[in-house]
Amino acid sequence: MIKTRYWVIGIAAVLVISVIAVLLMQRDGSADMTAEIYLDSECIKTIDLSEVYEPYSFTVEGQYGKNVISVERGKIRVSDADCPDRVCVNQGWQSTGELPIVCLPHRMVIKLVPNNPDDADDVDGVIQ
Amino acid sequence: MKDKTKRLTRNALLTAAALIIFVVEAQIPIPVPIPGVKLGLANVITVYAMFLCGPLDTFAILLCRIILGSIFCGQMMSFLYSLCGGVLCYVVMLAMRRIVNENQIWVCSVIGAAAHNIGQISAAMAVLKTPAILSYLPVLLISGIITGAFTGFCAQFVVHRMKKINR
Repeated sequence: MIKTRYWVIGIAAVLVISVIAVLLMQRDGSADMTAEIYLDSECIKTIDLSEVYEPYSFTVEGQYGKNVISVERGKIRVSDADCPDRVCVNQGWQSTGELPIVCLPHRMVIKLVPNNPDDADDVDGVIQ
Repeated sequence: MKDKTKRLTRNALLTAAALIIFVVEAQIPIPVPIPGVKLGLANVITVYAMFLCGPLDTFAILLCRIILGSIFCGQMMSFLYSLCGGVLCYVVMLAMRRIVNENQIWVCSVIGAAAHNIGQISAAMAVLKTPAILSYLPVLLISGIITGAFTGFCAQFVVHRMKKINR
C-alpha cells in the first residue's frame, strides 16, 4: 500500500504542473492573429483578424448543425449555435491562440494562429 | 438463482441511480465555458460499484449509463467522448483498485477522473483531427482532479456506510 501522503503529493504535483501550463499558455498572445475555421477537420475558411475593419457575422453550416461566427478586429467568437450545450457560444471572444474555440457536437474548431511566423521561416522568404 | 436476481436488481438500481445523476447534472450550467468540463457526479456510482460489485458488473453499469445517458440527453456526438473517457477511466480504476486501501478510494477516483479527461481529449483529437485541442488538457486535468476528489470522497463515504449495512 502506498501511503496517502504520497498520493496527495503526486496529485498536487500534477495540479501544480497543470496550473503552470495554463499560465504559460496564456502569456504568448500576439496581436496579429489569423483565424482558421475547421469543420470536420477540414479548413473551410481563414480570416486575417488584423485586417477586419468592420465587424461582421456569417454562418457555418455543417452536417451536424449551424454556428454563427462573429468577427471583429483582432477577435472572433461564436455568437449563436444550435448545438445542445452551447459551450462554443459561452467561450466568448477569443483573441489569443491559447485555447481554440471548439464546438464538439458540430465538429467545428476555430484556431487562432499568429500571422508572423517564427524567424526560421523568414530565411526561406529571403532565399526565394 | 436467487443470487442472480439479486445481482441483476442491484446492477439495475445502480444504473438507474447513475443515469438520474447524469441527467440531472446535465441540467446544471457550468460556470467555466470550456468544452468537456463537468462535475462528473455519476462517477460516484462507478467508483462505488468498482469497490463493492466487481469489475464485470461495474463495466456493465458504466456502459449502460453512457449509452442511455447519451440517448436521454440527446447528444449522440458526446457519446464517443464519454465512451473513450469512461473506458479509460474504468481501466485505470481497475488497476488502481488493488493498490489502494479503504481510505484511499478518493485517490482512485481522482486518477480515474484524470484518465477520463485524457480519454476525452484523445477522442476529440481523433474526431476533429486537431492536435491543438491538446492545449485543453491542463485545464481539464485541473477540473478533473478537483471534481474527482469531490466525487471520490462521496463514493468513499457511501462505500464505508454500505459495508456496515452489508455486514
